[in-house]
Amino acid sequence: MSKSSKIRVVVILAVVIALYVIPQSPLTTDNTMRIGLLIALYCTLGLMWNLMAGYTGMVSLGQQIFIGIAGYNVAVFATTFGLPFWAGMFCGAGISVLLSVALSFLLFRMKGMYFAIATWITSEALKIIFTSWEFVNMGGGMTIKLRPYPDVFELYYISLTLVIGAFLVVFFVLNSRIGLGLKAMRDDDDASAAMGVNIFRAKLLCFMISGFVTGLCGALFYINQGSIFPGPGFGISWTVAAVFIVIIGGIGTITGPIVGAIIYVFLSEFLSQYQGYSMIILGVIAIAVILGLPYGIVGTIERKFGFEVLSTRRTMKNLLSGGRANVDYSRGRDLRVSK
Amino acid sequence: MAQAIINGILIGGLYAIIGVGMSIIFGIVKLTNLAHGEFVVLAAYFSLAISAATGLNPGLSLILVGPIMFFIGFAIQNLIVNRLMPRGAEAPLLVMFGMSIIIQNVILQVFSADPQHLTNPLDTSNFALGNAVVPTTFLIDCVIGVCVILALNVFMKHTYVGMAVRAVSDDTTAAKIMGINVNLIYGVAMGIAMVTSAVAGVLVGQTYNFYPTTGSQYLIISFGIVVIGGMGSIKGTLVAGLIFGLAQLLGGFLFGTTLQLLAGYIIILIMLAVKPQGLFAK
Amino acid sequence: MRTNRDMLIVEGLRVNYGDFVAVDGADFRVPQGAIVSLVGTNGAGKSTLIDCISGITKPAQGRVYFKGENITGKPAHEIVAMGLTLVPQGSRCFVRMTVEENLIIGSYTKKARASRMETLKYVYDLFPALYEKRNDLSGALSGGQRQMVAIGRALMSKPELILFDEISLGLAPTVIKDIYVRIREINRSGGVTVVLIEQDVKRSLRASSRCDVMLKGRIVLSGSPGELTEEKIKAAYFGI
Repeated sequence: MSKSSKIRVVVILAVVIALYVIPQSPLTTDNTMRIGLLIALYCTLGLMWNLMAGYTGMVSLGQQIFIGIAGYNVAVFATTFGLPFWAGMFCGAGISVLLSVALSFLLFRMKGMYFAIATWITSEALKIIFTSWEFVNMGGGMTIKLRPYPDVFELYYISLTLVIGAFLVVFFVLNSRIGLGLKAMRDDDDASAAMGVNIFRAKLLCFMISGFVTGLCGALFYINQGSIFPGPGFGISWTVAAVFIVIIGGIGTITGPIVGAIIYVFLSEFLSQYQGYSMIILGVIAIAVILGLPYGIVGTIERKFGFEVLSTRRTMKNLLSGGRANVDYSRGRDLRVSK
Repeated sequence: MAQAIINGILIGGLYAIIGVGMSIIFGIVKLTNLAHGEFVVLAAYFSLAISAATGLNPGLSLILVGPIMFFIGFAIQNLIVNRLMPRGAEAPLLVMFGMSIIIQNVILQVFSADPQHLTNPLDTSNFALGNAVVPTTFLIDCVIGVCVILALNVFMKHTYVGMAVRAVSDDTTAAKIMGINVNLIYGVAMGIAMVTSAVAGVLVGQTYNFYPTTGSQYLIISFGIVVIGGMGSIKGTLVAGLIFGLAQLLGGFLFGTTLQLLAGYIIILIMLAVKPQGLFAK
Repeated sequence: MRTNRDMLIVEGLRVNYGDFVAVDGADFRVPQGAIVSLVGTNGAGKSTLIDCISGITKPAQGRVYFKGENITGKPAHEIVAMGLTLVPQGSRCFVRMTVEENLIIGSYTKKARASRMETLKYVYDLFPALYEKRNDLSGALSGGQRQMVAIGRALMSKPELILFDEISLGLAPTVIKDIYVRIREINRSGGVTVVLIEQDVKRSLRASSRCDVMLKGRIVLSGSPGELTEEKIKAAYFGI
């Protein structure tokens, strides 16, 4: 390990410890905790969308499938069966994984825009099913009843652990042999097939991880919220959030979603009294970033200063940067060596 | 049953005009216009505002709405999408996604979330066909929708601009070396697609209630039309509209109206998995 | 030195694809009314050179003059309007359009539109087979017929210079012979200057009034068929 990467590890550890310790200080309020919790969850949401779109080229518009499924699981487990929240949380995430496996047979036959629309339509179909399903109170939604109800501090710590876990998973997946294949796949299916990567399995792994973690994320969102309705639960705005977070931060960068999530949460908090305007402003910012900063904020900084906080040493060009990537397959495992 | 079939056929004409714009953009610009549904709804709101301000019949407001929509499409294509196209398909797709969110929320701010309707003197009239009673509006929708699509087909076949549009969709590079300014043609194609959205918006607005968030519903219908009819095929959209309309109304008739939409979605998913190039692809 | 008799002048042209240099300082000129052939192995940079002349690819360095005007980096559609047309490799007809639609679209430029009926008749006289197939989709034609559509389509733009990119690729010898006869006719009676990209040295020597050999992105040999022996060309061709 080189000196600079040692420093980097120390800095990252310090930040993580700080995030765990700060809430113990008397200055933190429930509101700051709530914002911290939202940043952690939105960051996780962004990371999982990025894992698919930014690294494997599967642009999903259906992340709300997993959010809604897990949210409803928590509600049903807690309210209908009287079980603790973590049971519903993990069961919801588990069902999300099963669903992602089932959907993969359908969705992985499609590429690009077909995949994008199909994921969206699947979520719309689920929305209709949940709206007309008596077991989940149809369109009337469900209130999540938990005793004791976890407070915002507990939820913050769970979410913080979740987002750190999500970072580690993404980091290790991308630095594994499968990750290398995935990045190759994003640019050229045939090329990665030629490298001996089982595309279907690699895609499925990402989709399953994305389903599982997004499911946990959705469960926590709804425990924090207290009630769930089919419209918002399976609403496209979850994906909107994920897309904006990743694009503003930098698609295909590991740390981009942190910056994106912070901007997203603060914007929507500041603009919460002007409901609707926040979405317009976010939309304008996202389009401006796509036009002006194709690598997002983090991606642009990385490029300018040749510095990466968490390196996966992308040799493939960024998804939004366009052009053919300069892929040097002969270097093989060297690709993992960090800069 | 007869009622469902007749309504299905007539609605099919409306679906075709909703979807044809997306199909053009899909086939020619190779862009997934995720804002297509919002553009349809936007046109309905334009028509609402214009007929409120001038007292024009919503149908006649198209004289203004059509050109406005053409200009918006042309501008979006030239100022934004053309610049992003060399970077691949995802960037324009995400921009249009952002655009749909912006349009939806701008409409929400300007017009509120209340349902709106374009009033039309024939709103409540019906006519009998055999033992089925058909709303006159459905018939008007179908006739206008089909006529606009046929006119578009003639335009594509017999004018230089129309042929240039087809040439670009066939082989972009070859089109360039025939003297075609490809970016300009993309802009024109987007403009034409937007004019069809304008017609669709006015027809939708006089048939159903609309509110700021109905766009995604029309996007999904459009996507169904594209997937069944094949991208860029104008005649395919007519057949696809018919199939989709019939499937939905028959699904609704057999399994209840709540499942009407679901039936449509399932058809799209099956089509996507089995034959994403459309029914008529060779 | 730039004389008025040179219709096309390429000076020090350089084209890169990323790190790969496809054309490396090529100088090339085409006298008015001539048939110039440009030969070279696969990957010598011939196609890139003419893609760059016709505006499809942008050069990194160098200049291109057509009829004395600097056209370097101009978009393809403006270059076509000036009278320089490319018949691309593999014909690239608009396969979902009929033969006649393909030809009509060739007359897209303003100048060509005015006389499109006469040009259409000229093309049909030149290739009677196309007239018979005028309502068929060009995608349904044979390779040779598609090549004819591509040539006809190029003629419809009323060009003064046509660049033919490996027109004989994948065609039967008799078909090639026929197409070469037509090209000479276009040159002689139509007054169109012609550039032929070829891999077959013998055929190009027979057809042309000038021959240039390209190797590794440069023009390494240039002269009239009288001056060049087949041995000389072959040596330059393979870089021996």
